[in-house]
Amino acid sequence: MAAAGLTHAERLKRYAELAVRVGANVQEGQLVEVLGRVEHAPVVRAVAAAAYRAGARYVDVYYSDQHLRRALIEHAAEDVLSWTPPWLLERARHIGDERAAVVALTGDAEPELHADLPGERVGKARMLELAEENNRQINEQLNNWTVVGVPNEGWSKQMFGEADAERLWELVEFCVRLDEDDPVQAWREHVARIGRRARELNELKVDALHFTGPGTDLRIGLLPESRWQGCESETAEGLAYVANMPTEEVFTTPDLRRTEGVVRSTRPLALYGQIVKGLEVRFEGGRIVDVTADEGADVVRGQLKTDEHAPFLGEVALVDGTSRIGKTGMTFFDTLFDENATCHVAYGSAYAEAVEGGVIDGVNVSTVHTDFMIGGPEIAVDAQTADGTVVPLLRDDVWLLD
Amino acid sequence: MAALTPDERLARYAELTVRVGANVQQGQTVFLLTQIDHAPLARAIATASYEAGARYVDVQYRDQHVRKAMIELGPDEALDHTPEWLKTLWHAAEGNALIATTGDPEPELLADLDGERVGRARMKELNEIMRAQMVARTVNWTGVAYPNDGWAAKVFGEADVERLWEAVAFCTRLDEADPVAAWRDHMAELEMRAATLTELRFDAIRYTGPGTDFTVGLLDNARWMSALFHTASGIEYVPNMPTEEIFTTPDCRRAEGTLRSTQPLALLGDVIEGLELTVKDGKIVDVQADRGADLVRGQIASDDRAAYFGELALVDGGSRVGKTGITFFDTLFDENATCHVAYGFGIPEVFDGEPGEGMNVSSVHTDFMIGGPELNVDGLTSDGRSVPILREDRWQLPG
Repeated sequence: MAAAGLTHAERLKRYAELAVRVGANVQEGQLVEVLGRVEHAPVVRAVAAAAYRAGARYVDVYYSDQHLRRALIEHAAEDVLSWTPPWLLERARHIGDERAAVVALTGDAEPELHADLPGERVGKARMLELAEENNRQINEQLNNWTVVGVPNEGWSKQMFGEADAERLWELVEFCVRLDEDDPVQAWREHVARIGRRARELNELKVDALHFTGPGTDLRIGLLPESRWQGCESETAEGLAYVANMPTEEVFTTPDLRRTEGVVRSTRPLALYGQIVKGLEVRFEGGRIVDVTADEGADVVRGQLKTDEHAPFLGEVALVDGTSRIGKTGMTFFDTLFDENATCHVAYGSAYAEAVEGGVIDGVNVSTVHTDFMIGGPEIAVDAQTADGTVVPLLRDDVWLLD
Repeated sequence: MAALTPDERLARYAELTVRVGANVQQGQTVFLLTQIDHAPLARAIATASYEAGARYVDVQYRDQHVRKAMIELGPDEALDHTPEWLKTLWHAAEGNALIATTGDPEPELLADLDGERVGRARMKELNEIMRAQMVARTVNWTGVAYPNDGWAAKVFGEADVERLWEAVAFCTRLDEADPVAAWRDHMAELEMRAATLTELRFDAIRYTGPGTDFTVGLLDNARWMSALFHTASGIEYVPNMPTEEIFTTPDCRRAEGTLRSTQPLALLGDVIEGLELTVKDGKIVDVQADRGADLVRGQIASDDRAAYFGELALVDGGSRVGKTGITFFDTLFDENATCHVAYGFGIPEVFDGEPGEGMNVSSVHTDFMIGGPELNVDGLTSDGRSVPILREDRWQLPG
């Protein structure tokens, strides 16, 4: 570890600088929004300081608390569960209107906090209007934003079976290239490499993807307008940013009407404070028609009922074995990391930036977006091009187009 | 108390806060203003609020380190910026309940920063909204403290949080078998004292003691009262827990003399020691202190009425807070240990009808302690007589 010998304060500062400079790419005079949980305070504070150093005109921090959500789920009336307080909606709109930079933090300190609550209510307890507003802003590409993880005791315990936040810190540093002497340069090279993959796929003019492996035989149709994207995104005004740190994927928006077959998740999925294991999903005419799981199927079923378009795909992403997250061999129980370990799909909302023309027919719009992992060495991925040619993309976790 | 586990104690404390303090009503939204270091209490209050019938509990967690980053690194215009959505939130508190927590986990966090910038780093517009709500009496609210390591270290010189919990439990009557009943009796006693003092209709109050000779005028239309408040719609609530004081809003135009603070004052992330003020024609014209004078100077300059007085409060030696003998470095407690005054806005609750010109209007309100066994407090009648109110920390009037 090149980062060895740093004090914890220096580590936090370096991480925050990366999130602010490379991730969100905060601009002089920008409003900056930081969204974290109370357990994320050390990183929240470092990000606030880094944002002011980058020239932020104001840093507005919003702390959430899973225990408050638990109290809501336990006690609140049915209609309050998905209610958005008007002041939080106003806050979200302001973020869009002001073209604010956003830094959001993940890393669940108590991943099983909601495990004993009724799955249906857990699934419903989301601020719907707020989710719609966030969706709109992502689709209109108003903000430069990033998501980074915050190592903590509870999260490390879930991963390792014992609390070892230091070990998790080292893994996270590896995944986000903070172990490099010059992380900013390392990110530049990484972004260029994944960007090349996106270009290759776009040149192929992929019409459909075919995933096969144990429990999986899934065809996902794309739109003629679907565009593959690498690590870097751009706001409508042309500001570059890296929306996820880490990120290893190339992804696109599928045709919501053209997914058929069955898929078995290859990794556990952390969702609303519960862990979904052994998820199996069947699609017909693009829609999820059956959900089974060894654990946590109710949370997924509850979420799929959130709105009319929740049970349709909004994203498909390809990741190979060179992924730093994949190389750790760890399951992080956090989508930000796990989705970058291997190939995945998401039901729910699509990313308009991955479609020529934005939200056109066939692009899914929903208030949910849940990624689950379907890749691994046993999964073969083939592309079928518009003229019917089949091109192998992944075998044994190796990217075949390079 | 010995029989209670820490979780039970916390739940009991939260329940007292919700039922007696804010007196949360069925269907109300509860706005909780707290700090991330107070999360265990915030969570317990949220649960107690839902159990009392709250429709929704909104918690705003603040973080002094984020504030520090703003003061150290942010541009000038960030310092007193109030995000629009927070104004909307505060307006939404009207007709609802509000609970704030105190208990500074790092009382000296901002001590090495520029005092003038620290003083300016306040959301002024929120204070104005809050003041308007106090005048209109539209919110049932309360403030309670959360014992924590940093605060305990400040109080005792070591992080003995259990000892601090015991002191807080004593002060808030959580040690009683029936804390709700104990609070009822306590508030009745304070109400009686306030009624006695109101009936005497003094023209002015005079404080004398070491470093203090201060005379401040009273207002004809202002009562003395205890912290048993009512909203305009009739919800009874206790805005401070603990509370041991009876208080009034003085005539902000009539104050003269010198004042010496008898206890340290925690203010805006620092601690003010040895504060001495000189007052002429109602206004603070000179500020001296062994430590932190600039912070007070910055604060009284923050608007053109901040340097005038808004509150007089009397506390005797029977105070549970006083009995602990502890300086808590937290106004919620220390102001209930002994007599105090406040510069900044007056308290509209004490007026029957419109407050009029005599009540000070400002965006700040800072209490500081001037009482103790050496302080004499007298009531001055309009015909020039002087009537003892407090001698050696003992109440001299009936009640």
